[in-house]
Amino acid sequence: MNNNTAGKKMLSIVLLIAGIIALGAAIVLDIQGSKFAFRGALLIIGAIVILIGMYEFPTIEHHRSIINFIFLFPLLFTFAITVIVPMILGIFYSFTDWNGVKMNNFVGLKNYQTMFKDPAFLWSLLLTVLFVIVNMILVNVIGFLLALLCTNKFKGVGFFRAAYFLPNLIGGIVLGYIWQFIFSNVLIKMFHLKFSPLADTRQAFIAIIVVYIWQYAGYIMLIYITGLTTIPKDVLEAASIDGANATTTLFKIKIPMIAATITICTFLTLTSAFKQFDVNMALTNGAGAMKFMGRTISNGTQMLALNIYNTAISQNNYALGQAKAVLFFIILATVSIIQVRISNSKEVEM
Amino acid sequence: MKKKSTTVILTIIGILVAAYTLYPFALVLLNSAKKSTDIVSNPVSFVGTSWSQFTENISKVVNNNNFSFWSAFGTSAVITIVSLVLLALFGGMAAWVICRNKTKWSTAIYMTFIASMIIPFQVVMLALIATFREVGNFVGIKMLQSIPGIVFAYCGFGGAMTVFILTGFIKGIPYELEEAAAIDGCSPEGTFFRIIFPLLKPVLTTVTILNGMWIWNDYLLPSLMLGQNGPVKTLPVAVQAFVGSYVKQWDLILTAALLAILPMIILFIIAQKQIMNGMVEGAIK
Amino acid sequence: MRRALATATVAGLFAALSMGAMSVSADEIRLFNNKVEINEGLNTLAAKYEEETGVKVTIESIGGGVDAQATLKGYYQGGNMPDIFVFEGDKDYPTWEGLMADLSDMAWVEDTEAEYTVDGAVYGFPTTTEAIGLAYNKAVLDAAGIDPASITGPESMRAAFETLNEKKDELGLTAVIGYGAEATALYWSTGQHLYASYIDSGLSRDDTTYIDMMQAEGGPTFDDERLLAWAEMVALFNEYSDPDLLVSGTYDQQVLNFAAGKYAFVTQGSWIGATITGDDAEAYNEAGNFEIGMLPYAFIEGQDTILTNSPNWWGVYKDSENLDAAKAFLEWCASNDGGQQILVEDCGLISPYASCTYVAVDPYAQTISDYTAAGKTSAWHWLSMKEGLGQNATAVIFQEFAKGSYADAAEFAEELKSAIVSYYAN
Repeated sequence: MNNNTAGKKMLSIVLLIAGIIALGAAIVLDIQGSKFAFRGALLIIGAIVILIGMYEFPTIEHHRSIINFIFLFPLLFTFAITVIVPMILGIFYSFTDWNGVKMNNFVGLKNYQTMFKDPAFLWSLLLTVLFVIVNMILVNVIGFLLALLCTNKFKGVGFFRAAYFLPNLIGGIVLGYIWQFIFSNVLIKMFHLKFSPLADTRQAFIAIIVVYIWQYAGYIMLIYITGLTTIPKDVLEAASIDGANATTTLFKIKIPMIAATITICTFLTLTSAFKQFDVNMALTNGAGAMKFMGRTISNGTQMLALNIYNTAISQNNYALGQAKAVLFFIILATVSIIQVRISNSKEVEM
Repeated sequence: MKKKSTTVILTIIGILVAAYTLYPFALVLLNSAKKSTDIVSNPVSFVGTSWSQFTENISKVVNNNNFSFWSAFGTSAVITIVSLVLLALFGGMAAWVICRNKTKWSTAIYMTFIASMIIPFQVVMLALIATFREVGNFVGIKMLQSIPGIVFAYCGFGGAMTVFILTGFIKGIPYELEEAAAIDGCSPEGTFFRIIFPLLKPVLTTVTILNGMWIWNDYLLPSLMLGQNGPVKTLPVAVQAFVGSYVKQWDLILTAALLAILPMIILFIIAQKQIMNGMVEGAIK
Repeated sequence: MRRALATATVAGLFAALSMGAMSVSADEIRLFNNKVEINEGLNTLAAKYEEETGVKVTIESIGGGVDAQATLKGYYQGGNMPDIFVFEGDKDYPTWEGLMADLSDMAWVEDTEAEYTVDGAVYGFPTTTEAIGLAYNKAVLDAAGIDPASITGPESMRAAFETLNEKKDELGLTAVIGYGAEATALYWSTGQHLYASYIDSGLSRDDTTYIDMMQAEGGPTFDDERLLAWAEMVALFNEYSDPDLLVSGTYDQQVLNFAAGKYAFVTQGSWIGATITGDDAEAYNEAGNFEIGMLPYAFIEGQDTILTNSPNWWGVYKDSENLDAAKAFLEWCASNDGGQQILVEDCGLISPYASCTYVAVDPYAQTISDYTAAGKTSAWHWLSMKEGLGQNATAVIFQEFAKGSYADAAEFAEELKSAIVSYYAN
């Protein structure tokens, strides 16, 4: 036993030292700007050997802490590199003249001033709010009605549920092109239109809403179905014994009893509509001419997420795009905080 | 009597709505079996459809150098599967540690994860690319335009939601189980892998479905990290690049769309219940 | 057991990450091209070069709706920069400033006038000459009794359009002109090329009057009289274009119909030559392989130039490990005994090199060389317009005008100005 522990201690220390040497060597190579291709592998091997060394370290009282560290490390590390660091850098870059490759100057609030003076951006902001409100209402109403339909008992209801949900499986880019085909080729032929609805700013905006509902209503329906089926049977039976008709049951019992579900669905549609990007890009890429604030703008159907992307990537203005993204974040964060407040106050009531 | 007529009306409504939701799929299938000219002149009829045209379109798309369907499909599959496995494993490990340690640290980590869920991708995406470039150049590991790099990013982005759902579940597992195991001489990691992890199966299914749908269909992250038409591309990126280079050849575009959605539809037919339940549970949690 | 578990835990991470550690570094040149049409020709070129020198050249072609410069930027950020890459002059230069190798001392520079130069240093290798002008079907014009040379200004252009329109049926035309103003996939045709005629038409090659006005310090300004005359020409195109093409048509449709003899004119420049004799060869053959010519966009009487330029250049990545190999490849491409034959005959490029003796089979080759010989060409100063202007600002204005949303050319001109001013504001 004792011998075993000593052996393990030896092994552990050897591993730790080897790991630290490998890691250190790799970092020294990095700092020297070496082009030695194996330095990446060396770094990874070093890190892993250190972890194994820690794991093998023969200790009873600290073993749990070591395991905690090893268990948390992979996720926390990836999370820090992909979310935390870029988040902080991103906010920083929004105050500079960063062009995606290098930054030269600190420009203070200039990007923020520029964006609030730009009618095209303000329009995107306004359009997004409009899109969110319209969809929040339509998707929820339609989703709820479909849920009512699909909670009835009749033949084929399982198939209908699946059929309504199916569009939600398809990625936005692919379904965007499918619908572009429908609008630009099928509808033109069917109704003998002069040109595609997508060529008209207003109609194109409606088209995006139609596609969004097509994609999302089935999903919201599923959540409402879950909500509706949790209403206790005896409550509904009691109501029907009391002579309540279908409408009264709906408004006096069903809707109040699924208030929590309604909150969930409302915020779900709100945030997802706010982040709409793929369909917007594939369907119109934001095009559409119109008058706004006395200027002619060309991004009549461009919502916020796409505006940010185009500003940075297509117009090659990374810093401005980043500033817009920070605003986007602030709006979404506010919405989320409101959601948490509302959900919490509801729970207290119940 | 009244009941029967209601059923009929409900069924009719049901069919009409289903027709609306399924119609686009039918159109894609129908037109994948036509020549470009027939699609443009008769998009909604069966005129010009034939099995041989269908197979011809498919072979044209699959063998197209600009689309490289199999390689894109393989890339998407590898990225999705590896990310899902790692997310389930690392997520489970992290969630368990967070759940079973009531220290300031674990609470802080948990709160950071929760708070990060409201961060929209747009606010990190530009700096993310720069970070990955710098880190990659510095340590000599290719982080952009590489599969390991994008898997790394998916672990980072999917971590918060995974931990959130898993901690909710682990809280419900009685702690006595672990105490009993410890008394029996089971190490903490043994307790996790032998007792806790197997119990997570139902919730891991949910997490995997939610993450899987997101990763498989995601366009923006791979288009930024892998390039819009780089040597490594996922299926959505390949479709976008393909449509871009073949301005409006609808026969090829629709066939490509069909090939891109087919795996998802097959999976849905096989695991319909699990997918629908998973999506709902993910939302309610 | 414990060790096995530990190994399992890290194996996934290790396997995933270690793949990334192996970076590819073979001895070959990568060339990034943005014209899918010439992909095949470039591959032939690469094959020949490998045969002659043993150096492998990999061609990467992207184009169409995919943003080539954005992709390239992604490559740079990914540390995956090609050795030779395409860029579009002043618009892209700032992105790559300091990252492109100075090519001034190379031999081919002496053989051409189309190289890309900044402050006396050569950074861009020209591959071709492209021309923007109003292309016409000579056979149709002859049949209608119209002498192309008689079209010298707005009145004669309108007269020709009217004549053709009257004889549309007997000439087998669908419409007089194939003009497409769709905004998302064809933005470059209207927002860049057609608008280019306002900037450059009729000017001598070094005249930068109108581009300078647009790029002015305090925001874009315009020559209203010139802009209105130009807008009237766009109005004429709207009036006589194929309604199926005008608002939501596609490039394929536009070029195919012109090749099939269904339009007398088309608002596409010399680059369609390769498509007409390639993808659309069948239709072009059926239509009698008619002669194709090009007229100036003469929206003011007496404008007699077409716009010719090298549309883009090949730059060499300064930090490339294969810098010398890349330069040697360019030298070979420019020489008459080397790549010129394939570039001209297979890719259909119009050589900008004086020593080149090959002539493209391209239907436009003759026209371009005639205009060049006569000194009747203007440059492409529109290349310096703010990045994304056509795509993000002006193309939809053309589309709106085509849809009939504006009362007249004057309103179109005003809307266009407003859109440009807005776009330049940030």
